[in-house]
Amino acid sequence: MLDSSTPIQWLGADILTTLVFLPSLGALLLLLLPNGAKNAIRAVALLASGATFALSVLVLQRFNPAIAGLEAFRPLLVDRPWIPRFGIRYLLGVDGLSLILVVLTTLLTLCVLVFSFGQTIPKLRGYVAAFLVLETGMIGSLVALDAVLFYVFWEVMLVPMYFIIGIWGGKRRIYATMKFVLFTLAGSLLMFVAILFASGVHAKATGILTFSLLEWIPAASSGAWSLTASEQALLFWAFALAFLVKVPLWPLHTWLPDAHVEAPTGGSIILAGVLLKLGTYGLLRFAIPLFPGAAARYTPLIAVLALIGVVYGAWVAAAQKDMKKLVAYSSVSHLALVVLGIFAGNVTAVSGAVMQMVGHGLTTGLLFLLVGVLYERRHTREMADYGGVASQVPVTTTLFVIAMLGSVGLPGLNGFVGEFLILAGVFKANVWWAAFAATGLILGAIYLLTLTQKVFWGPNRVEANLGLTDINGWELAGALPMIVLVVVLGVWPQPVLDLVRNSVETVVQIASVRMVP
Amino acid sequence: MPGFLHVTAADVSAVGPEAFLCVVGIALVLLDAFAKSLRPSFPYLTLGGIAVANFLGGYPSGSAFAGAIETSELTRFVDLLALAAVALATLGGGALLARDRRNQGESYALLLWSAAGLMLMVKGDDLLVVFIGLELMSIALYVLAAWYREVAEATEAAMKYFLMGALASTFLLLGVALVYGRLGSTRLTALKGALASGEGFSDPMLQVGLLAILAALAFKIALVPFHSWAPDVYQGMTTPAVAFLSTAPKAAAVVVAVKVLGTLAPSGLGEPWRPLLSLLAVLSILFGNVVALAQRDLKRMLAYSGIAQMGYVAIGLATFDGAAFEGILVFLAGYLATNVAAFLAVGALSNGEKEAHPLADVAGMGRRRPFAASVLTLAMLSLTGLPPTVGFIGKLLVFRAAIDAGLMTLALVGIFGSLVSAGYYLRVVYTLWMKEPSREVAAPEEDVLSGAAYILVSVAMLYLGVFPRLLLDLARAAARSLPY
Repeated sequence: MLDSSTPIQWLGADILTTLVFLPSLGALLLLLLPNGAKNAIRAVALLASGATFALSVLVLQRFNPAIAGLEAFRPLLVDRPWIPRFGIRYLLGVDGLSLILVVLTTLLTLCVLVFSFGQTIPKLRGYVAAFLVLETGMIGSLVALDAVLFYVFWEVMLVPMYFIIGIWGGKRRIYATMKFVLFTLAGSLLMFVAILFASGVHAKATGILTFSLLEWIPAASSGAWSLTASEQALLFWAFALAFLVKVPLWPLHTWLPDAHVEAPTGGSIILAGVLLKLGTYGLLRFAIPLFPGAAARYTPLIAVLALIGVVYGAWVAAAQKDMKKLVAYSSVSHLALVVLGIFAGNVTAVSGAVMQMVGHGLTTGLLFLLVGVLYERRHTREMADYGGVASQVPVTTTLFVIAMLGSVGLPGLNGFVGEFLILAGVFKANVWWAAFAATGLILGAIYLLTLTQKVFWGPNRVEANLGLTDINGWELAGALPMIVLVVVLGVWPQPVLDLVRNSVETVVQIASVRMVP
Repeated sequence: MPGFLHVTAADVSAVGPEAFLCVVGIALVLLDAFAKSLRPSFPYLTLGGIAVANFLGGYPSGSAFAGAIETSELTRFVDLLALAAVALATLGGGALLARDRRNQGESYALLLWSAAGLMLMVKGDDLLVVFIGLELMSIALYVLAAWYREVAEATEAAMKYFLMGALASTFLLLGVALVYGRLGSTRLTALKGALASGEGFSDPMLQVGLLAILAALAFKIALVPFHSWAPDVYQGMTTPAVAFLSTAPKAAAVVVAVKVLGTLAPSGLGEPWRPLLSLLAVLSILFGNVVALAQRDLKRMLAYSGIAQMGYVAIGLATFDGAAFEGILVFLAGYLATNVAAFLAVGALSNGEKEAHPLADVAGMGRRRPFAASVLTLAMLSLTGLPPTVGFIGKLLVFRAAIDAGLMTLALVGIFGSLVSAGYYLRVVYTLWMKEPSREVAAPEEDVLSGAAYILVSVAMLYLGVFPRLLLDLARAAARSLPY
């Protein structure tokens, strides 16, 4: 095996650049194909997303999780000038945290595209192209270490998602997609101002004009940045708001149910599976390490909001009649728990949060996928329109039950690991938070079990369901990798925990310094 | 001072591009009168003329005509903007005018003359040359506003533009007269010397003079409260002419404003100029964006959007340092590519120049005219300032300069404006791609020339957004040649 410090070149480009832009290359290729060439479109989709996934696994294999601190980025670092006069660099790098999310992204995109071949999707070419461009934006956001570059990729994600919801969505799709864009943009524009301001202060304090996290984070921990307390607080909130809108944390969550319900199935899977995680990723990568003092000061406030989110999301989910809306609100609840874990500030809780980011991506992605299978056949998501369909769709039912139990947090499945670690860590930080959060989890079990019971078990009340066909080959091929991972990572979560341990410890250590000026 | 009529070869070469554009314009008018059959070749002749003018633009930096004209990297930058704007308007506009058989030679000639005027205006070191340039630029545009003289909106636009434009010119002359009365010269370099040795800038007569000059320029830039002509003129004027009017002349007026402000306020902007410019910026951004939200006609919407965009430029004016000038120039160049793209596509997706351009008409065009619809989409994203388009780079530079100079409030107003603007820019995008057409719209197929224009502007918007270095270097060199 090659030494991990050897730079990997592929067709003259470094591996991270290839990883980021390979999907977009596929999207460009699609433009050359005629709209009707269904098989060619499928081939390009498979090739582009499959190669990207394979490449991300290659990076995973080359990555050395033993390196601690910011040095972890070093072996695969790509550092080129982009706009040199303003110190803006094309700076890409991965650590355990970003890498596990990159692999989740490439896997889910591949699964979504494969799954979509089994569904009737008009204008397939545009659909596939949008997902591939979106993939570039997602991977780019995860590997960018220059704040401006990160912002660029962050906004690049916005446009394809806007089209995915707006063109392939349901009846209220335009309302939903505009709400999604405006909410996200409101947060990210504030972050943009904060980035510019932060670099200005950094340049005045240190004489170095840079947007690089690898210089900002040490400057923040050593105090060389010399931000006043109020500046730190404002900057923290500008960043945190952008990320908390994306998560979304109560009370910033209102765009999410609309977007999820109106989005096509693939859009919902990516939205829940990856985009929401980018919010929590941003907290761990930017908001907390850059402004640890302010993060510590506002932890109680954010924890309270997260606790409200955990219970509120679960409570509202329990009242839903629409399956997709139910899963959407369950996301609000689950992600609030992740935020709570992140702000608990110890290694156990943050590891659990990262684990749960992966776990939620898989289980909730699966739930959306399986709801999409039913919707494709019956064109309804009302629970009342189903009932006792288990005998008609045994495979779908089995998959749904596994995903549901994973989401509930059944030991042996992947959701359990994350939730357990979060609760154990939160318990160390604050007993009351843990107690309160646990009630949300119990509620979660109730509504998800009720959903399964109403849809799949019991007598078959609706005649139209008698002819319901089971999940088809493509759809199953899209779901299987996710199901396998839910089980495997439930039984054997250690590889993921090993991978992210050093990143998590770095964040926790930076946060615990708490440089309150 | 050499003899009054003593003109050297260096003098001629300094205004070579302008002179050549004027000659090409006259030739086109004559050809139209005596050889109508050549009409289809006019766009090519115009483009050829622009190419030659661009070649003539390699003049050296320095002063010409005994100091009345001052050439520099900056004037070359503006030359480039003006020529690009005319070239793109010609490429994309020929087909639009040919639809109504209104592609007479004058339509190209007037654009060329207007471009020559604005290039001269920027070169003027003498305020009277600035005035002459501004008049040449404006009068050609007044005529173009009434191109469809049988259409009521066009006549209204021309009358309104002419009357208000004449008032603005009067202000400019008044300002020049007051400055002359106080300092005894109309030469910017001479004024600078007089100010440096004299009592400085607190003199009320000078202040009123500068205020009058700035008001005239703000009128050309269409900053609130000098904006009221813009929506009507945009609506009544032919689309290719608006594509030009809304970009290059505004850029030239901004550059002249920088030059004049830099001369008369050499020690940086103090009271009351920075608050005044900040106020113009804030008013333009808020008013332009909010009113644009309510528009249902694409050209009127773009008029208000243009007011707001110039508000972002005014943030750079209020910041008034090297970084801000560079940002302004980059922003203006990006805005030029973007706005020309927007207008050409709007023209192509409409029923014709004589009719209104309601937003509803572009519904479903994503499927019918994917090419033009994609250009319009890209333009909307660039106007919103979303990366990776050139619109983002411009905003990045302008906001960065403002934040570095401590003008946080202005940057926040700008950001708020951008958020509001996403509301109406993205409305165009979803109408294109996500709505069903409500009525039949003619929207003809692209011809070769407009196809070329679309490709050029799209490449400019994306390439300069991803690899902005070329533009940044040009703007840097241009901003450096400002004498402050």
